[in-house]
This record gives sequence, C-alpha cells and structure tokens, in this order.
Amino acid sequence: MTTVPPLATIDELPVATDVLVVGSGAGGGPTAALLAEAGVDVVIVEEGELVRQGEVVPFSLAQMERQYRAGGVTAAVGSPALAYAEGCCAGGGTEINSGLYRRPPEDVLWRWRHDHGLDDLDVDELYQICDEVETELSVQLLPSAPTAPSERLRLGAERLGWEHGEIPRWMAYSGADASTARRRSMTETYLPRATSAGALFAVGQRVDRLVMDRRPDGAAATAAVVTDRAGVTRRIRFRNVVVCGGAIQTPALLQRSGLGRRFGATLSAHPTVKLAARFAGDINVPDDVPVHQVSEFAPDLSFGGSASSPGLVALALSDHWSLFGEAIEAWRQIAVYYAAITSEGRGRVVAVPGWRDPLVTYRLTRRDRALLGRGLARLALVLLEAGATAVYPSFRGAPVVRSRRDLAVLQGTFAASRASLMTVHLCSTAPMGADRRRSATDSKGRVYGATNVSVNDASLLPDAPGVNPQASVMALAIRNTRRFLDDRDGR
Amino acid sequence: MTGPEFRDPPAMTIVTGATGWLGRALLAQLTDPASAHHRSSIRALVTSAAGADELAGLSGVEPVVGDVCTRSGLGALFADLPGDSVVDVIHAAGVIHPVTPSDWVEVNVRGTANVAAAARSVGVRRLVHVSSNSPFGINPHRSDLFRNDEPYAPYLGYGRSKMLAELRLLDEIGRGLDAVIVRPPWFYGPHQPARQTRFFTMVRKGRFPIVGDGTQRRSMVYVDDLVDGVLRAELVACPPGRGWWIADARPYEINEIVTAVTGALAASGLDVARRQLHVPAILGRAAAVADNALQRHHRYVTQLHVLGELGATIACDISAAQRDLGVEPSVGLAEGMRRSVEWCLAEGLLS
Repeated sequence: MTTVPPLATIDELPVATDVLVVGSGAGGGPTAALLAEAGVDVVIVEEGELVRQGEVVPFSLAQMERQYRAGGVTAAVGSPALAYAEGCCAGGGTEINSGLYRRPPEDVLWRWRHDHGLDDLDVDELYQICDEVETELSVQLLPSAPTAPSERLRLGAERLGWEHGEIPRWMAYSGADASTARRRSMTETYLPRATSAGALFAVGQRVDRLVMDRRPDGAAATAAVVTDRAGVTRRIRFRNVVVCGGAIQTPALLQRSGLGRRFGATLSAHPTVKLAARFAGDINVPDDVPVHQVSEFAPDLSFGGSASSPGLVALALSDHWSLFGEAIEAWRQIAVYYAAITSEGRGRVVAVPGWRDPLVTYRLTRRDRALLGRGLARLALVLLEAGATAVYPSFRGAPVVRSRRDLAVLQGTFAASRASLMTVHLCSTAPMGADRRRSATDSKGRVYGATNVSVNDASLLPDAPGVNPQASVMALAIRNTRRFLDDRDGR
Repeated sequence: MTGPEFRDPPAMTIVTGATGWLGRALLAQLTDPASAHHRSSIRALVTSAAGADELAGLSGVEPVVGDVCTRSGLGALFADLPGDSVVDVIHAAGVIHPVTPSDWVEVNVRGTANVAAAARSVGVRRLVHVSSNSPFGINPHRSDLFRNDEPYAPYLGYGRSKMLAELRLLDEIGRGLDAVIVRPPWFYGPHQPARQTRFFTMVRKGRFPIVGDGTQRRSMVYVDDLVDGVLRAELVACPPGRGWWIADARPYEINEIVTAVTGALAASGLDVARRQLHVPAILGRAAAVADNALQRHHRYVTQLHVLGELGATIACDISAAQRDLGVEPSVGLAEGMRRSVEWCLAEGLLS
C-alpha cells in the first residue's frame, strides 16, 4: 500500500507573500520546499492543473491533454522544425517524463565551472545534494526484469560490444514487481513537503508579467500579475520572486516583464530522431518506457527507448505512410526508440505581444545534422542486432531497413530537414555565469540588473548536459535556495 | 583472459593485386627470410607479363598472369593447387583511383565476387579481403571514432564499390566460404604509389592544401603494420565473417600529419617550405559536391576527390583488432614518415 501524501492547494491568491515561486516543477518544487521549511512565507503559482499520480495512464494521449502544454503540440520554428514537449501541470515535467535519473556528469560540471566563470560551483557539494535528492525521490534500479523493448535495446548494444546500462528512476515499488511502481514526482515529494511546511500552492494560475520598479541600484520586481482559468486578473506582492517556469516559459516571462531580450537567446536541447522497430513477437508495452540507454557515443550521441502507445507508434510511422502504414496493425510487435545528440546549435525564445505562448526557433549546425543521420543509422544497427525484422526510420522518404545493406540506403537518403525531430531536455535560456555580457544570472541564479529576481530551473544550465537534466536542475535549485537562505540570514 | 589463437601458416599463399602497393609490401614481408612472416610458396596474381617480370626476382613467388574481372581470368591462379594441403588467399586487388568510375564495379565488386567464388570452389582455408574505410563514409564530427561495427554509409563511388564487395563476400560466406575482412584507412610507406610521393612534394613546396583549420583527424597506418594485421587476420582462429580496422592506435590531426612529413623531409636534408596552402573549409565541401556530380556522369578527377575528402575526419577505433588479433602497430607517424621519405629518396623519387 502506498500512501498518497497530502498536497493542499488554495483557490484564491493572497495579496502578498515573502517569496513568490513561479512554477512547481523540478526547479520550483525543491525551491519552495526548502524555503518553507526554513520558515519563509512562500506562495507557489502554477499554470497547469493538479493531477495526482495514478489518475491518468502514463504516456497516454489523455495525459498529454491534461498535463502537457498545448496538448503536447508545441514546435520550434526552423528548418527543420523541432517539436518539443513541456509539462504544464503541478510538478511540471517530473510528472510526465520517463523518470530516468542521471547525475550531471563530472566533466560537464567542470566544463560549466571553467567556461562560465562559475568559481563557486562545487562539484562535491552538488554530488552531496544529489545523494539527498536520490534518497528523497527513492532513485533506484528496477526490482524485476525490464520490459521487452528495454531488454531488446540492451541486447543489441551487448552484441555490438557498445557501452550501455540501466538508468535508475525516481520510482517507489510497493511490491517485488516493477508494475507496482509509483512515480516519486514533485507532487509526491517536494510539493507536499512545501505545503506541509506552510507554503501556499495555487494551481491554474498563470503569471502574465512581473511589475518592475526601476531604481538606481537596478530594477526591482514588486508584484506579479496573475490570471486564473476564468480570466480574472489579480496582483500578488512579494519581496523576492524565483522564476521556475522551465526553459521556455521563464525567459518569456522575464521578457514580458521588460527585463530584456538576452533571456531566451541561447536555448540548448538534445534534438532527437526516432525509429520504430518491429520484432517477430509481441513486445509493445504502452504504459512504460525503456530504462536502458546506450552510452557508447556519449556525450555526443545517446540512444534510448521512447513511449510507444499505439498512437505514438502511429506517429512514428506516419512519415512514410504508403510504405509503413500496414505496420501500424502490428503495433504490438513494435517499439519506438530515439537517438539524441548534444547539439552545437542554439535556439531562441521570443515572447510575442498578444500571444500566449512565445515563439521558439532552433537552428541545427552541419555537425548536428550529420550526427543525427549517423546516430539514426547506428541506432538502427543496434536494433537489427537485437533481432528487429524491420526498422522504420522517422523521416520522409526513409527506406524500410531489414539488413545492413539497407543501412547504407538509410544514410544515403537521410536529411535532417525531412526528419520528424523532437526534443525534450530544453535548457540554457537564462544561463548562469560570471560574465554579464554572456550570462543572464550570476552563479546563484540571481538575474543581472534586477535586485530581487532569481531563476531556478533548467534555464540556468550553461548548456544541455548530454544526459537527462532533471537531476542537475534539482541539485542546482537546492544549492541556490540554500545560498539564498544563507545570504538572507547574513543580512 | 587468453590472447588470440593463431593457426600455422598455409602450405601455399595466394595473393591477388600482387603488383599493387599493398601487394608489393605484402610480398616483401612474405619473401624476406628474416621476417617472422616468411613463406616459401606464394602464388601471385599479376595482370600482365610485365608484372610477372617485376616479381621474377622474388624467391618462392610464382607469378600467374590473370584478371579478377572474369571467372576465366582466375582459372590459372586456382589451378593445380597442391592436393590436401592448406591454401589461404589474400585478396589485395582493388582500384582506388580509377580511369572511369565503372572500373570500381568491374574490379572491386565483380573482382571480389569472382575471387571469393573461386576460393570457395577449390576449398581454401581462409580468404582475407582487404576493404577500406570508405564503405563507412566520414565521421559525423571530429571527435567521433568509427567503432568496429558501423552502419554502411559509403563515400561516393569508391565507397559504394567497396561496400558492395563486402556484401558479395558475405554472400559467399553464407555459402560456406571462410573469409574475414580487414579495413585499412589511409596507409603509407615503401612501395607507395606516385600520388603519395606527390603528397610529399606538395608539402615540401608548401602547396599542400590544408582544408579548414587542419584539426580534422585521420586514422593512418604504416604499410608494414597493415601487412602484420592482414596476416594475423589470416591466421587467427575465429568464425568467418569478422572484420577489423587496422590502423594506428589513435588518429592524427591533418596538421600533425603535415608536421610529420615536413619533419621527415627536413631530417633527410631537403629544403622544406615553412607554410602550407590554407583552403577554407567551404572549398573542401564544394570539391566534394563537384566530385559527386562528376561521378554521377561517370567521370573521375583524382585531385577533386582528394580535396573533397581532405576536410573530413576519417577516424577509427582499433580496440577490436587489438583484442581479437593482438595487433599493436609499432611504427608511429613520425618514424613511418621518416622511412617513407628514405624509401622515396632511395628510389630517386624525391630530389
């Protein structure tokens, strides 16, 4: 029996608070919990609704409608267009993603520290925080055998002699079997901690902008303009605001608040290409994702398994319907996999007056395109080795790959501009760093040019870390919140 | 952990492409009484009587005139083999820079299929097929390394022909032939063809085009280390169908390669230019596009092809060959280039 921790929400915003936390995901959750537990008066404002774990089927279309921004249909403009997914719910991305947990790699932390003048980024300290997070979220390996799609990926990598492994997840298991899993997302962990320590949690409330007061020592935010689902607008005053809306919404909000276009100019991500692999027997597991990843080519390139509900299988096959269409009938024999790259390219988030969502653009470099093509072929090779009878790459004009000979055709016909690219792991739109010209915040996430505005989410990461970034986000959020409390106590 | 297991050398070794660059280096090793690889009975395929004359002085070598492009052209090569005794084939015949692109298909694809079929029909113990990096194209970025097992992504016509050759070979393996594949990237050393000597001359005169910033990487191997890898692949006890990269343990940046050549030239007392020609990366890419377009119209221009490839990284990971074959290339870039320059001087090719 797993008990559901109480998570109270409020319907009406108070008129004032000490610290306003905007967003309740991997950044906002820990931020609010630590502040509230230190006795700070906190209000959390979340745009999405509260859906408790177990209410919707994971990776389903119903979940996309309720917990994703715009029903999961968001895309960055560019050639090629890059679809992306953002959580929009209490707990943000932690509620809906694969729950795979990867500590920030040590070389990435040293690179951030060195390249961005982050002299006080202490690797040991961050890893100690990771220990805490791993206990809180019960990060662990599967208690029983992996799903068939996960096992196939493992097998293919093993046969090629390529490095691979099982990635732990934030899951609690009430039984000996993986099917008893309950996701240790923000609504199960840091958010209940925050509200039981006195934080007020408002859902279905969107922050339109921060009201800025220009002062000689820099701009100060005095209040937030918040609109609820019914369209009613209110103001909430605060002494400090911590923006944790994620890499798309955070820079958009700061731009709408008049803090400048430097936010959002350096969007970084892990663009991915997909394929559907068909096997001789039934392997599809519609409500779970593989836990194995292939790290042979890390950090440039990594392979993993995607959600593979029938709808998503159909989506993966849709690029070449005349050829692949018959395969959808066999969705039980099919699983979807991805190849992700660390991209040299960058994107931009621009708030557009009168539009609810910002315009997002992304540009891939020549190297990015080459790597996507080679990555897709290498991934297809893994799946052929794993026994796939047919591989359907996700780009227009793709061949059906049944043998090594077909892999040459795959690479010969691949063009990133014809691929269905998508990305998760959006970050770096308000990067921290010592240089005000290159960075948006200092090493503690305090926005340059403003006295009381901080950022504490994936926007802070100087670039995409090459692994699932939520552990990095949580660890930095906890570190920065402790620094905030130290500075405040010192005053 | 046990190392690789090797079988005894065969009673007879058949070498195709014997007057080619690799073939000559191979024969030099096989016929050298001081070499660990010395063999007393070698049958060498040459394309002409002149080729046979070229090999006449090598002891233990029986030149056979023939042609890989037809089955009948291989009749004499595989005729009257010593009954019951072990025969291996090293298939080193191939065309890199053709007169017209159709030579690639004739020699590389059909030639390999013919040699493999003939070898199977007479029941040889093993065939070693000398392939290339080109069936796998170029690395997607500069720090990437080709793993031992890679998806095919052939680079233009030559790459396609070497890929098809591998696939034809795999078909013969499916019919019962024991064959393995070695894949050398850029190799160099004594017996090198005129174009490699031209490379030295260009570097010497400061006219070698360094495309981009010269940090693109190339795997390379000194020809004797390649020969060692080929013979290990021939003798190693392993299932058929395996393939390995044979190269130095790490790839070199183009700048490093040019520095090694200038160093070797200067050490031999030759005047060497201090600077090379620097060519913008876009020109290298333009050359690759032009090369591709010409090849589509069945034309081939060596210089264009070479320039098109010079901007690319072609680098491989040799850990599988180290593990399975125990190769440990011993002649590094600087020493290898020194020996190459020495050979060129001795042959009167550089003055």
